[in-house]
Amino acid sequence: MNNSQFPAARTSGLVVQEMPDEVLVYDLNTNKAHCLNQTAAKVWKACDGKTSISEIAAHFGKGANEDLVWLAIDQLNENDLLEGEVKSKFKGQSRREVIKKIGLASMVAIPVIASLVAPQNALAAQSCACVNNTQCVNPPNAGHCAAITCNSIGICAP
Amino acid sequence: MSKYYFCFESYGVAVAIESASKEIVAQAEQTARSALLGNLIEIEHRGEEQCFQLNLLSSGECTIVQNGQEMATGEVSPKFWRFFDSLVRIIVAEHCKSLVFVHAGVVGWRGKALIFPADSFAGKTRLVAELIRRGAEYHSDEYAVIDANGLVYPFARPLTMRPDEVNPRELPMITAEDLGGISGESPIPVACVLFTKYEADAEWNPQVLSSGRGLMEILPQTIAIRRNTEFAINVLKNVITSAIIVKSARPDAAEFAGTFLEFVDNTAF
Repeated sequence: MNNSQFPAARTSGLVVQEMPDEVLVYDLNTNKAHCLNQTAAKVWKACDGKTSISEIAAHFGKGANEDLVWLAIDQLNENDLLEGEVKSKFKGQSRREVIKKIGLASMVAIPVIASLVAPQNALAAQSCACVNNTQCVNPPNAGHCAAITCNSIGICAP
Repeated sequence: MSKYYFCFESYGVAVAIESASKEIVAQAEQTARSALLGNLIEIEHRGEEQCFQLNLLSSGECTIVQNGQEMATGEVSPKFWRFFDSLVRIIVAEHCKSLVFVHAGVVGWRGKALIFPADSFAGKTRLVAELIRRGAEYHSDEYAVIDANGLVYPFARPLTMRPDEVNPRELPMITAEDLGGISGESPIPVACVLFTKYEADAEWNPQVLSSGRGLMEILPQTIAIRRNTEFAINVLKNVITSAIIVKSARPDAAEFAGTFLEFVDNTAF
């Protein structure tokens, strides 16, 4: 079976949280969180390894075409939310060009996946006593905050 | 070999502090009690706890080793204990299984919580202080402590104001009572989550976020997001889907607080 034509959603190592209009997917391997809008989520859920791209497009009715599904697949693939690698259909075209092309023809919202990496260290969420990231070690704060060193995100350490 | 120790449990997390110095353990115990606002009980040393070893060196400096990892070495001074205070709070927040700790300012307003998750330097404390002056109940300038049902528990340590130009050497610790307010004592549901940061000349231009985007915004401020991911996300979903989620830069707290409370009154109740 050609994976590019019958994509399968990744299921292991993920925490999936359904929200009213979106789906949040947290990748436990990379500690990346992804927020899939309705269109991206619908495509992702339809990726069962047995359903073809054209059949997935049909789930959206007449308002969508295969390019819309491919745009979602591209982003899902980029964010490692599919099993195996899927070759992009849009080689040589920028995403902006593709969106522009689809946007004019589609009645369905463009698929969007927003991503972020969870902070590596809990210390990243802690306050030091300085008003900018160099003041930990300089007067007048040097004697007052908990720092001997202070990094670019304002974390103190003695 | 550590001869002296103090073991405690706080929010369900067992922690051991060990040292060859009796005085260091005594000071560490005092710091831990203060860091956790007295929310700890002494327990027997079982050897299964999260562990701090405080190794006093011949130079007079002390090394903090957390679960076998050297965290820092420094002169045993107030700033050393302030750092240890942070580590104690983090280790409890990070390993707590039944509550989610979000780095945020929190006040109570009309029986519900207003939460301001943000990085350091965003102005959380000044906003919280200003809201207390206007009648809000103080819950925290450090953590929103949230249970599985989405209720927020008070973590009302004294507010730590950053030094200002008038008193650059001061690091005042003030209480809600100093500001003419009171501290919350009961868990409350969340009415509004505001992602905001002070910016000079900023205008209040609230953008209501979808629940998915709200969840994405709050994740980086969630202490145990990597360690207790599924539970944290479930709890945060409960909060996000039952509250109004707003984002905007804001002007100075004194100028902004009234506008914000009016906004909350009109939209979140």
